[in-house]
Amino acid sequence: MEKRKKKVLVKEKSKVLEMPPVWEELSVVGQSAIRVEAIDKVKGTLKFEGDHAYPDALIGKVLRSPYPHALIKRIDVEKARTLPGVAAVMTANDVPGRNGIGAVIPDQPVICGEKVRFVGDGVALVAAETEEIAIQALDLIEVEYEPLPPVFTVMEALNPDAPKIHEKGNLLSTVRIRKGDAEKGFKEADLVLEKTYSVPFLEHMYIEPDVTIAIPHEGWITVKGPMQAPFTTRKNIAPVLGLPTNKVQCVQTPIGGGFGGKEDSPIDIGARAALLAWKTGRPVRMEYDREEITLTTAKRHPMVITCKIGAKKDGTFVAFEGTIYDEQGAYASLGPVVAPAGGVHVHACIMLAGPYVIPNVKVDGYLAYTNHPYGGAMRGFGAPQVNFAHESLVDELAERLGMDPYELRMKNCVELGSETATGQVLDQSVGMKDAMEKAREAFRWRDLWKSVLSPSALRNADRQKGVGMAIGWYRTSIGTGFDGAGVNLHLQDDGSVLVYQGLTEMGQGLSTVLSQITAETLGVSLEDVRMIAPDTDVAPESGPTVGSRSTTLMGNAIIQAAEMIKRPLLESASELLGIPAERLVAKNRIIFDREDPGQSVELKEAAKRSFITGRRMMGQGWYTPPKTSFNIETGQGSPYFVYTYSAQMAEVEVDLKTGEVDVLKVVAAFDIGKAINPILVQGQVEGGVMMGLGYALMEELVLKDGVIQNLSFQDYIIPTAMDAPEIVPVFVEHPNIHGPFGAKGIGEMPNIPAAPAITNAIANAIGARIYDLPAHPERVYEAFRSRCEKKG
Amino acid sequence: MAKEKIVIEVNGEKRVLDVDPDCLLVDLLREDLGLTGTKIGCREGECGACSVILNGKIVASCLVPAIKADGGKVTTIEGLGKNGELDPLQKAFVEQGAVQCGFCTPAMLLSARHLLDQNPQPSLAEIKTGISGVLCRCTGYVKIIQAIQSIAKGN
Repeated sequence: MEKRKKKVLVKEKSKVLEMPPVWEELSVVGQSAIRVEAIDKVKGTLKFEGDHAYPDALIGKVLRSPYPHALIKRIDVEKARTLPGVAAVMTANDVPGRNGIGAVIPDQPVICGEKVRFVGDGVALVAAETEEIAIQALDLIEVEYEPLPPVFTVMEALNPDAPKIHEKGNLLSTVRIRKGDAEKGFKEADLVLEKTYSVPFLEHMYIEPDVTIAIPHEGWITVKGPMQAPFTTRKNIAPVLGLPTNKVQCVQTPIGGGFGGKEDSPIDIGARAALLAWKTGRPVRMEYDREEITLTTAKRHPMVITCKIGAKKDGTFVAFEGTIYDEQGAYASLGPVVAPAGGVHVHACIMLAGPYVIPNVKVDGYLAYTNHPYGGAMRGFGAPQVNFAHESLVDELAERLGMDPYELRMKNCVELGSETATGQVLDQSVGMKDAMEKAREAFRWRDLWKSVLSPSALRNADRQKGVGMAIGWYRTSIGTGFDGAGVNLHLQDDGSVLVYQGLTEMGQGLSTVLSQITAETLGVSLEDVRMIAPDTDVAPESGPTVGSRSTTLMGNAIIQAAEMIKRPLLESASELLGIPAERLVAKNRIIFDREDPGQSVELKEAAKRSFITGRRMMGQGWYTPPKTSFNIETGQGSPYFVYTYSAQMAEVEVDLKTGEVDVLKVVAAFDIGKAINPILVQGQVEGGVMMGLGYALMEELVLKDGVIQNLSFQDYIIPTAMDAPEIVPVFVEHPNIHGPFGAKGIGEMPNIPAAPAITNAIANAIGARIYDLPAHPERVYEAFRSRCEKKG
Repeated sequence: MAKEKIVIEVNGEKRVLDVDPDCLLVDLLREDLGLTGTKIGCREGECGACSVILNGKIVASCLVPAIKADGGKVTTIEGLGKNGELDPLQKAFVEQGAVQCGFCTPAMLLSARHLLDQNPQPSLAEIKTGISGVLCRCTGYVKIIQAIQSIAKGN
């Protein structure tokens, strides 16, 4: 094995890359421009899909399985079919094409035929004139099930005698990472610490419910709705209907929160509405209510993670070993490996050793089906889970070593030129240490850490403060073979611009950021740019809006497209000014001579001339990031082309009598390459940290015998304004050489180290550690109580 | 079920409407009056996206039967600005980055307006309490609170 490993382990020891060029003075990029659709949103005039009325549409509904695992012995829909007002009742036999959907592997039946695999699985579809009739029809469908023994944990699923959830077996993916010799490394360690952590299923709880309208035409169909990934949705609906891709049009409507969840759910609801519309020849509207969303849509994967770290007395890390039992639930969704390094599971394994330099690393991951709802993408894509594990472990190690956890992390974290657990040399844009230092200053870590640590404080108070920190890293984009982003820019003869692209605005601010990049690159002003909402009939393939990829990939595609128009535009200006085009600069609607800025012409005059003289008015961009690599046997390679880094510090106050935790303050520092729009980046940070606070303290889906016990906002608690701490975003900019103006991803990173920063602060306050999320009051109280008992 | 005639003043305009006894205020506003700025996130009075101001109180309109609003005054997001001008709170939300996906924004603005009408200079804790009936999954509430504070100070 060792020999074989050496052979395949061909490291691309690229040297550290040169710093990118200093960008010309920027006029739009880097400004906190106002969100382009903000006015529409504050007036309440922006129409979400649920705000449209379709008087002629049928209402679609899904009959759902009450069993977590069962065979469908008989299904009788006659009574439902003959109910007046029912237009169609569909079962598995009525699916014209592939009866399978899924973002990666289409293993989820659109309508279950032989068996059901989780509570909520769809067994029949109904379309009726009204919602009341549709619900009545569902009640009239008779289904006879033969319950099968269910499987509810990964450990059970991996047992060779376990019931098979899918024919191919319960093990969906395995991942191995081997670097150096972990066993030998642990022998060299002065201290070895091993712990097991668990994290639960999480629900996205976007406030806007899933809704869609499917409108059939002659030979083709339109499906509209809040879709994070219209192209992925289209790719699923077309085969289900048995249509070629170009006969399905997916149109994104404004998204009222997605967080990864609206990557999967529009496939589910869209394919079903499309089936009914195709069958009846009439528009079908389908909406899932809150309970139905929680019951059936994708979740954040639960994991049980055991990890072990070995360090020298001085804190130097020498070895790391980790095992992830990763629960996929009933269907594959985005869990399995997509070569080279795509999918939640492989990403989690790659991130498990953290942003640290460790010479010997061994990671094993197992992803298995169970009879629970399925895991998909949720803000961090496997990283929040493993970050909680490694940052809890490193923090506890610091305690054992008697070191300041900041110093221990600083000693071992990555910097420019470092090699990761997968053997990747971080060749550019590595601001981990810089972010840590800035966080420390903003938080006044040194003062607070010392003051809180005094052990005598613990016994004499009802409320105890504590501080904690965590660091993390997150890739930009998805690490799969296909990772393209396409755009068309249309310049008009008055200097205004239309942008046709397929990545979605869902609150993160993408429309604004891409408008800024367009304006900056073409030399127009922000108001001159209009983004066309993603429509797969109009926009080039752009991939999904996931993986913190959109600003970087689409930004680059826009720059390419803009260059295509700009050259002829400058030629037109050159004719008007009598100055060589090479000397001209376009900025803020003016084209001027670089050497004599007084010599200028309005950009719109040049645009008009371009139009009259038949010059190119249209630019096309197609960007794919640098090639990535990952050897599935050894876990070695460069799986992602750049990373964002974060250090977060939290101050909490724990009520020692109840275990309740107040988070008082979070400082969250990031190396983001370049903030295209600082106020929007702050918004991502604040929202992400808050979601991390929910992960740390309150959120979890409670499952009993495969049934979710907390389907609504009443009992699935998310943070309210009452929980909001002071959040201080801090940014450092180590430019990404592959990013537009140096940018890299930010959407997910804030959500990642927030939870362990908070739980480490709790540990600091109560003198006992939290190994399972969430750290709800009972758990915190119990940890504190048992620690008091131990100490007497 | 026989419809009942009700009279409501919606955003300053008197409306006479025939409603089903089981019709909820949120549906009356959205479907009968086309005021879709009021959103539905759960229909259980938990998310607060359907919040409107009814007779000087902030209510979850998904829990209020429309007939209960008979003779009352309702303010929805469509009635927040005056004479085509944005309410200062709307301006503050725009300028301070308090809007992300925008789905909770109308309810959040009405909550904030209601709070400031009752208490023009609220403390931080009062602001947090005042808007805690509306859930936001995007912003972490930070910029929403800041936007409200910026208007409160002016008073």
